[in-house]
Amino acid sequence: MSETEEVVRARGVKKSFKNRVALSGLDLSVRQGQLYGLVGPNGAGKTTLIRILCGLLRPDAGEAVVLGWRVPNFRIRSQIGYMPQEVALYPDLTVMQNLAFFAELYDLPREQLKERAEELLALVELSDRRGQRVGTLSGGMQRRASLAASLLHKPRLLFLDEPSVGVDPRLRRSLWEHFLKLAAQDVALVVTTHLMEEAARCHVVGFLNQGRLFAEGSPEQLLRKTGVASLEEAFTRLEEESKVRT
Amino acid sequence: MKTWTVAKHVLFRIGQDPRTLILIVLTPLLFVLLYGYSFSSGRPTHLKVAVVNEDSGLASVRTAELGRITLTLSLGAKLVQSLDRELFDVVLHDKPDKIQEEVKAGKYWAGLVLPKSFSHALANEALRERGPQKTTYQGRSVELLPPETAEGALATLYLDDSNPVVTSWVALSLNEALTRLVAEQQATPTLKDPLDVHALYGGQVSALDYTAPGVIGFAMTLITIMLTVISIVRERASGTLTRTLVAPVRPWEVSLGYTLAFALVSLLQLGELFLVSHLLFHIRFAGSPLLVLLIVFVYAIGLQGIATLLSTIARNEFQAMQFILVLLIPSIMISGVFWPIDAMPTNIRLLAWCSPLTYANSALREVMLRGRGISGVALELGVLAGFALLMLLLGVRSMRRQGYSA
Ligand SMILES: Nc1ncnc2c1ncn2[C@@H]1O[C@H](COP(=O)(O)OP(=O)(O)O)[C@@H](O)[C@H]1O
Ligand SMILES: [Mg+2]
Repeated sequence: MSETEEVVRARGVKKSFKNRVALSGLDLSVRQGQLYGLVGPNGAGKTTLIRILCGLLRPDAGEAVVLGWRVPNFRIRSQIGYMPQEVALYPDLTVMQNLAFFAELYDLPREQLKERAEELLALVELSDRRGQRVGTLSGGMQRRASLAASLLHKPRLLFLDEPSVGVDPRLRRSLWEHFLKLAAQDVALVVTTHLMEEAARCHVVGFLNQGRLFAEGSPEQLLRKTGVASLEEAFTRLEEESKVRT
Repeated sequence: MKTWTVAKHVLFRIGQDPRTLILIVLTPLLFVLLYGYSFSSGRPTHLKVAVVNEDSGLASVRTAELGRITLTLSLGAKLVQSLDRELFDVVLHDKPDKIQEEVKAGKYWAGLVLPKSFSHALANEALRERGPQKTTYQGRSVELLPPETAEGALATLYLDDSNPVVTSWVALSLNEALTRLVAEQQATPTLKDPLDVHALYGGQVSALDYTAPGVIGFAMTLITIMLTVISIVRERASGTLTRTLVAPVRPWEVSLGYTLAFALVSLLQLGELFLVSHLLFHIRFAGSPLLVLLIVFVYAIGLQGIATLLSTIARNEFQAMQFILVLLIPSIMISGVFWPIDAMPTNIRLLAWCSPLTYANSALREVMLRGRGISGVALELGVLAGFALLMLLLGVRSMRRQGYSA
């Protein structure tokens, strides 16, 4: 694992909104082919971190290097994929029209679009909904369409912000299998979740709360370290320990 | 170039959305119909008027007793004195051959030339209308007789009749002053058209023609700004703007794409506005349609910049509407669309010159009513282009910030 390329490296990243601290000096390293799970409760700072790594927000302090470039940087954009926490599709356009627009932004040739879109719609099980307006899809379907839009251009690095919220358990399992398959193809994935069962499937898990990454490791390592049965307990235990330390 | 991709996409979405489409098509129509059918006027003030007074003041009049005598009446000076100072800003002028040009150039609303023989002609015209009059001359009672031949026009008035409201007030008030003057000369004739009026635009400009360019600019301003602001605020709220700004697209390409799309929508609306106002109300269109398109296009680009800025400040659609109401409506009201800027108090007039619609309105009027060419509206176009450039830069900057802080 150590020879693989480091695709994300964050050092001492801080970010506040007015007086509210969202990230307080955070370090992070993600490698090629890794499925990295950012785990933490609401308001932990997961979305803020991802936005910084995508170049949508500037950190107040510290630096983040993504695919070899200090962000924000235009050069990484064609190689990263971002699925925002919100649906981020045009509700008045059909699934296919949405995909076509974002494909064009990524310079995907028209001939390839058709094939690629079909492939992704099959993956998210929306093939029969390609002509339906996104606004009229169910919540879970909208999120699946959103995921498809983020995968169009075959990014090397994927940021998925709570990709499985509202997705039913069966499809959720198949999506996570797909994430692992992508990782096997050397794609790096940073996935946020607050579900421990999902965290358990990641290669590396980072526990995040109140803007601090207080523990990191494979699920097995984290369980072994704390000697508890579930990641949930591990999260609580490790957070308490880190509070005692500081 | 992703600008076109974004522009195409914005236009496509408008085409997909029946409600927005209706708004775009119907609102200009509503504006034209409303203003076409309900136009009102009021009394203007401080209209700049040039007067050339060459009157010698002398009148040669036939009498029954003494043959021809010469009276010193100074009717020209008296007329100038009696002009309504609230209505007119009178400028005394000494080059009668320049006056027509200067009125045409928009320097004055009207130019009144009182010839050397003004007193003479007016006195004799009064006698001709009224018949013989008794008066005293050098201590003797004499009877003044009408002239044997008609005297013709008393004075020449060059009138900028591109604004019918102003035109009618100028003509009315001058005629009144003349009539009053004659009445004071003890004779009270009813003079028929004492002025030889030269309507420089053929006397064909109606009140509706005068407001039409402004109303068109007004409609465009409101609709495009509202559309753009709502559209960007929505994109930001739904996250699609975020998705776009993460893609390999520059913020300026996104901003320019929006600008292009809505500028094209503006042109479409413009076409509609002209067609309807021309077909239904026979609005005057003297100048080049291409020039009008150019003016509107440059103006629309500036509007897009404002809209992008507003959309960054506004957190939601409701706030955006508030900004539009507070900022936009007043700037439209003072831009000379409904009321000549010349007729505004000085401080408001200064504000008016800060509103871009003032320049768009003025340029459109010059072209549509007076048939001016591009050199005739160079100043307005220059200001509009500068404004567009500035707003475009600010708009792009704010779009970039939206990317970093959405
Ligand atoms: N644009 C913003 N303005 C103000 N506060 C924000 C903004 N974005 C995030 N925050 C705050 O930063 C903290 C972290 O938020 P976020 O990164 O969205 O958490 P998570 O995604 O883990 O739920 C929260 O307290 C949130 O209220
Ligand atoms: Mg979040």
